[in-house]
Amino acid sequence: MIQSIDYAAIASPLVLALMAGVVLLLDAFLPRTGRTRTTLGLVTLAGVLAALAVPAVQALSGARLRTFCVPAGLSRDPGPPPCSFVVDHLTLVFGAVALAAGVVVVLLSMAQLAESTIPPGEWYFLLLCTLAGAVTLPASRDLIMLVIALELVSLPVFALAALKRYDARGSEAALKMFLVSVVSTAVMLFGVSLLYGLTGSVHLSAIAARLAAAPVAPGASVPPAVPVGVLTVAVVLVLAGFAFKIAAVPFHFWAGDVYQGAPVPVAALLSVISKAAGFAGLILVLTTALAGQARLWGPVVAVLAALTMTAGNLLALRQRHAVRLLAWSSVAQSGYILAPLGVAGKQAVPASVAYLVIYAAMNIGAFAVVAAVSREGGRNELDDYRGLAFRAPVPALALAFFLVCLAGLPPGLSGMFAKIVVFREIVAGGAGWLAVVMAVNTVIALYYYIAWTARLFTPASAPAPSSASGPAASALTIAITLGLVASVAFSVAPQLVLSIAG
Amino acid sequence: MGGHGSREPETGWSTVNEYFASYAVVAALLAAGVAVFAGALLASRLLRPDRPTPEKLTTYECGVDPVGEGWAQSQIRYYVYTYLYVVFAVDAVFLFPWATVFAAPGFGMTTLVEMFVFLAFIGLGILYAWRKRVLTWT
Repeated sequence: MIQSIDYAAIASPLVLALMAGVVLLLDAFLPRTGRTRTTLGLVTLAGVLAALAVPAVQALSGARLRTFCVPAGLSRDPGPPPCSFVVDHLTLVFGAVALAAGVVVVLLSMAQLAESTIPPGEWYFLLLCTLAGAVTLPASRDLIMLVIALELVSLPVFALAALKRYDARGSEAALKMFLVSVVSTAVMLFGVSLLYGLTGSVHLSAIAARLAAAPVAPGASVPPAVPVGVLTVAVVLVLAGFAFKIAAVPFHFWAGDVYQGAPVPVAALLSVISKAAGFAGLILVLTTALAGQARLWGPVVAVLAALTMTAGNLLALRQRHAVRLLAWSSVAQSGYILAPLGVAGKQAVPASVAYLVIYAAMNIGAFAVVAAVSREGGRNELDDYRGLAFRAPVPALALAFFLVCLAGLPPGLSGMFAKIVVFREIVAGGAGWLAVVMAVNTVIALYYYIAWTARLFTPASAPAPSSASGPAASALTIAITLGLVASVAFSVAPQLVLSIAG
Repeated sequence: MGGHGSREPETGWSTVNEYFASYAVVAALLAAGVAVFAGALLASRLLRPDRPTPEKLTTYECGVDPVGEGWAQSQIRYYVYTYLYVVFAVDAVFLFPWATVFAAPGFGMTTLVEMFVFLAFIGLGILYAWRKRVLTWT
């Protein structure tokens, strides 16, 4: 009757959850001083690094761990009983991406908290909770666990966005995100309940088996046990819930205001960690539970991908604010990641995952530089970046490299390889129209990435503000360096990503 | 169609209709509830004498004359107390079913420990609230 727990399998989220408790207690019992702030940041950093070591060890040992399985006596299906928590290749890749990005976000937070009135204990506690959700989600193999993990990723982010008190933009961002998120969760829960009602199981593998036993072919001689109409509604509702998390059209409009209103580390978290978690859930539901229904969801995802990349790029064209531009560009990038799933070929998941890993490295790097520049004061508009190459050569060159990577031009080879992998998959899947849409979008995106890069190297007319130093600045330098090292490594040796993603 | 002996092919929509038909009881209960409530008010209105005075038309507030407007500010601290109450209420939702089964065969020590792990997490929240001086009134 009792599910056995394999603590080695759940070590990564367990470490994060325990560290979250430790941070909360430390904050409650230590005096409120500047040193406490630094201590809490370092404890959080240690926790994330410890959690990151777990997938590394699990990958080296190569074991496929399963836990929270249905006890053998209670399983209704023949074969091995379904499990709720599985550590496999996908879990490890997504967990490592979320935690590596988490290290950068913690470093950005240390710089952010060093000079603002944001309460540090609550900030780091919420950050660790989000990371625990982001690590649990790719390991979840039942619908209830997926929904709970997804909520664990989202709920702390509302509070994080609003923690900068007496800041109207931050509060607006938090409220906007909260409302959209709650509605999308409700929509997804309805879809999930329909899936459960149709198949009688919450485990993804059991759902797939039940749906495979009842072929959904309209006009078949034997009437299907699973009504196609209801199944279609369920699939569309579940898709809508995840579309919000990855900011896909038509659930993209919150992105601009929320990214701009929230503190920069939260925007970085939303654009990489929250997005990776959303994609993990989407990939799990589509390719595990609904693998046999690719004809049903494939075209929907393809159209969503085309709309998302186009809307993101067109909105990014007009932006004058750095974070807003990155917000819409990350919406467009979501479209590129979705595209291989739309053709639902054999290599679709590796192509999406490869793009996501490379995107994570270059986007978190770009956010690290934006966080550094926002410390100089100013409103973080694109014009504030004029002449950055002369004031701060290293961050400016790093940002130029990240932007060129995002655009997919040499020398930013990692971005180019990512796009090639996706193109190859789309063309092999026979979706020529999607490849054309993506090619046009890549050209549109060149304009705003290159325009920003060019600003870095044009001489500024205004006198340069004095650059800050101290522990905050060094945390930012480390964050930028981490992003740069990853992006350069992926550019020099793209086979690194392509092999782990496959 | 229905004349021959073979079973009607079961379509998906009929399953769905049967499913929603089971909610008819809920709808009937709702209708009965509304009818009883509205009936009582209507009967009282028909039977009672109706001689309003300004005093009678004021809002009823525990038999005393009402003070101030309907939109009154209340202490923000009540908000936090409400939250703490919700935590314990949800906590009880899990505790009651657990209490009925944890001694049954097949459960035992693991089930007992699991609930205390859950309670420890809630205790952490209370400890935090206490240290942040949420529990003191002034």
